[in-house]
Amino acid sequence: MALLEITSVSKRFGGVQALEDVTFEVREGEILGLIGPNGAGKTTMFNIVSGVFEADQGHVRFRDQDLRGLRPHRRARMGIARTFQNLQLFQRMTVLENLMVSVDAFARRGLLADALRLPVARFEEKRADERAQSLLYFLGIGHTANTLAGDLPVGLQRRVELGRALALRPTLLLLDEPAAGLDARETVDLASTLRRIRDRFKLTMLLVDHDMALVMRVCEHIYVLDFGRLISEGAPEQIREDATVIRAYLGEAA
Amino acid sequence: MISAARLRRSLVLVGIAAAVVLPARLSAFDQDQAALAAITGILVISVVLLSGYVGQISFCQFSFAAIGAFTTGALVDGHGWNFWLAMPVGVVAAAGVGVLVGIPALRLTGLLLAVLTVAVALFFDNFVLATNTWPAFSGGSTQWHPHKPSLLGQQLTGEYSFYLFTLVVLLLVVALVWNLRTGKVGRVLRAVRDSELAAGTMGLNVTAWKLAAFGLSAAIAGLAGCLIAVANESVSAGSFDFLHSVQIIAIATVWGVGSLAAAGLGGIFFVYGPELLSKTPLSAKWFPLLVGAALVVQLVYTPEGIVAKTQADIAHLLHRRTRVPVADTSMVEAA
Repeated sequence: MALLEITSVSKRFGGVQALEDVTFEVREGEILGLIGPNGAGKTTMFNIVSGVFEADQGHVRFRDQDLRGLRPHRRARMGIARTFQNLQLFQRMTVLENLMVSVDAFARRGLLADALRLPVARFEEKRADERAQSLLYFLGIGHTANTLAGDLPVGLQRRVELGRALALRPTLLLLDEPAAGLDARETVDLASTLRRIRDRFKLTMLLVDHDMALVMRVCEHIYVLDFGRLISEGAPEQIREDATVIRAYLGEAA
Repeated sequence: MISAARLRRSLVLVGIAAAVVLPARLSAFDQDQAALAAITGILVISVVLLSGYVGQISFCQFSFAAIGAFTTGALVDGHGWNFWLAMPVGVVAAAGVGVLVGIPALRLTGLLLAVLTVAVALFFDNFVLATNTWPAFSGGSTQWHPHKPSLLGQQLTGEYSFYLFTLVVLLLVVALVWNLRTGKVGRVLRAVRDSELAAGTMGLNVTAWKLAAFGLSAAIAGLAGCLIAVANESVSAGSFDFLHSVQIIAIATVWGVGSLAAAGLGGIFFVYGPELLSKTPLSAKWFPLLVGAALVVQLVYTPEGIVAKTQADIAHLLHRRTRVPVADTSMVEAA
């Protein structure tokens, strides 16, 4: 069954057609790859799905519900979480606090319970702390818990972004170039982490990357974007051999 | 070795004890001044909340305070209300106006937000509080003279007892904001400050939280206004003008917008600064200039504020900073 359906989505920024009539779907439980050269419209697609901006035309449906008009926090509540290509951590907060923001994003307690430090606030605080800690250990970054997020090297910041998105307990996880800035060994590590995450948390992933190394390793099915249009789709082996894709990536030299 | 938390707790207790005991020996005039210092501390906290935690700026904190003060004046003096009924009305009214100011502020940051709040302050100075605009609120040509309240059967008319009352309110506000800061709400506000984009996609209603921050900050400023009204037992528009708001921002910035301790020190500085100056060859008129100069020096040398800088220095002295292990990026398999 399709968890996320993208139907004829177009988006234009001034004179640039970022996306043109893009249609695809993400099925429950799969790790889907969306690849393409820089500027192909991948991040734009993520921004449209997560509600940062709306598509000019077309529909985005999640669990059979049209997402048009829903602001980002509403979509997060429905179970869509994402990471950012240009890291968007809460830099002046500790790693643990970064995760705790998502852990209790949906908690009921508000100003009053916190201001008066009611028992419910202390109880939930403890629970959020424990859940964030266990996620950090799962991701192998338990030792960074009390470091300011902005002080970490990029590789670890990407992992914190992953943890923060997981802390929302999403059903759909959008990963925007999670391998950017990682070396070959770290990329291999990340691939195995992503598979472990899928198995442990039973979630669906949409993975965007312009570097094929990671996508080829973890994705079962791949869509290829170029200049805002889908130019190909298929299993990793097919994509690797696809002449159109090679041309898009390597240009005239191929 | 003394832990930083324990040192802080001891310092806070010593500070509170000193704040209770020392003013008892002061003259009645100085006790009045001490009460004003405590009230100013509450105003500084309203800035700490908005600027330090949420990263917003407001040059109209004294306009919010004016709403509290004039509501108290009009209800207590004009309509014979009890202060304890008038005060919550003033606080809620200030919070409401704070949210209204927050709505256009949603899409603004930095300079444009500053300009918007300056406009609000000038609108209050020159229109809302002007003599002829709304006499039922501003008191018209006769000023409001609300009397000091009584509490649990005790009249708070004595200078020292009123001072203690303002001190208790200040400490309550500090405790409230401190609890907010260390709990979920503080985290949410700081998250919104650091990245609105990420905060939204992490399920936080950024709009609602920013409005809540504006409302809460205005409510605290409004509370300070209610206290100013009864502290002076008169309410005049001149005490709430735009320049006062600018000075509060400057003082909060000098001492450090990230810190609650800044509130107490800032309050004392704001009230006693002009007085100390008048005992030197200079006069109290030089105070704004002094604040401006201090601001320039501080922005150059300790942008995080004097209090935060001192705290960091003390922490550094207590125990050498432990270095964060950054080399280890290998995966640890989940147990």
